[in-house]
Amino acid sequence: MRLITHNMLKCHVKNCTDPDKQFPLRFKDVQLEQIEADRNDEFLVRMLPRIDWAALLKTAKELNIELPDKVPESPADDGEFLSTLHTVILETHVKDGSMVCDGCGHEYKITNGIPNMLLAEHEI
Amino acid sequence: MKESIPDTLKLSAADKEEQYVHQVYNKIASHFSDTRFKPWPVIERYLRGLPSGSIGTDIGCGNGKYLGVRTGDVFIIGTDRSESLVDICSQRQFECMVSDGLDLPYRADAFDFSISIAVIHHFSSSERRAKAVSEILRVVRSGGTVLIFAWALEQNGRRKFDLSNQDVLVPWVVPGFRTHKGETLDNNDQKQVAVDKVFHRYYHLFREGELPALLQQVGGCEIIESGYDKDNWYVIARKF
Ligand SMILES: [Zn+2]
Repeated sequence: MRLITHNMLKCHVKNCTDPDKQFPLRFKDVQLEQIEADRNDEFLVRMLPRIDWAALLKTAKELNIELPDKVPESPADDGEFLSTLHTVILETHVKDGSMVCDGCGHEYKITNGIPNMLLAEHEI
Repeated sequence: MKESIPDTLKLSAADKEEQYVHQVYNKIASHFSDTRFKPWPVIERYLRGLPSGSIGTDIGCGNGKYLGVRTGDVFIIGTDRSESLVDICSQRQFECMVSDGLDLPYRADAFDFSISIAVIHHFSSSERRAKAVSEILRVVRSGGTVLIFAWALEQNGRRKFDLSNQDVLVPWVVPGFRTHKGETLDNNDQKQVAVDKVFHRYYHLFREGELPALLQQVGGCEIIESGYDKDNWYVIARKF
């Protein structure tokens, strides 16, 4: 799972409703892997509005990954920023570990790079 | 028995889907995947028409047939209820996860688009089909689009259905499925023989007009295209 995907995930347990705690899910005991991918600047600039930057920043800090606090005013002209963004969200994969919700404590497992987001009967 | 049979199962909706959808896909995953490689034209046109930089999700992605159509300039996350099918996607290096279509693990308004191809007909009550559609729409931003395909009752290809019965169990035949047979064949001590194995999947077959009506019932979107293609009814809708 790439970090761009993690930025879209939110806890969906039935009675877990505090928006500040459901998202982003906190990584626990994760193994990361860097896998090189072709960089497409047009893609990066255009998809940027879909990223929740505050959440990405929080997650990056937990993983000791450096990211600027703010998106630059014209990202299209900032090659260094785009290069960092590409490395962080598209080339950084979570191989194994879990994601924990700070609202309800639910732990979503990641195995061989595949998150399992299914809930138990009583959580739906 | 290789004909479709009417669904008269006395099971709850969730149990029916567990036994006649989830467990079956896990068993037939590799054979199913081998038969699913050619993108359908309407879906390919929709995906090719997305602007570069779009982010989306394929809900019920199966073996990931559509996840690689725009590699590099459109990012698609696949989700499926079947772990066996998600494993196949992952081996193909696609971004994917195991999740339930009734309850998606994404924040609201996260994506530019969502597709769900031949999936919602596996939900066995009208409430659950409406919930699946509302989830597909929920995760898309305002102005984003969704593409939904569901099997038609009025199919005129190799499958034909009794028009008076929309809820059916449809056979899937796996040729030469390895199984143990209790008897020994002539001059052959091998007890494992290859025989065709038939699995049944539950389907709610959509009548003409039913799919657009379902989206209108769920609301919050306008239908921008609908039609019939590859034995399915389909709609493309834009979220308000
Ligand atoms: Zn939670």
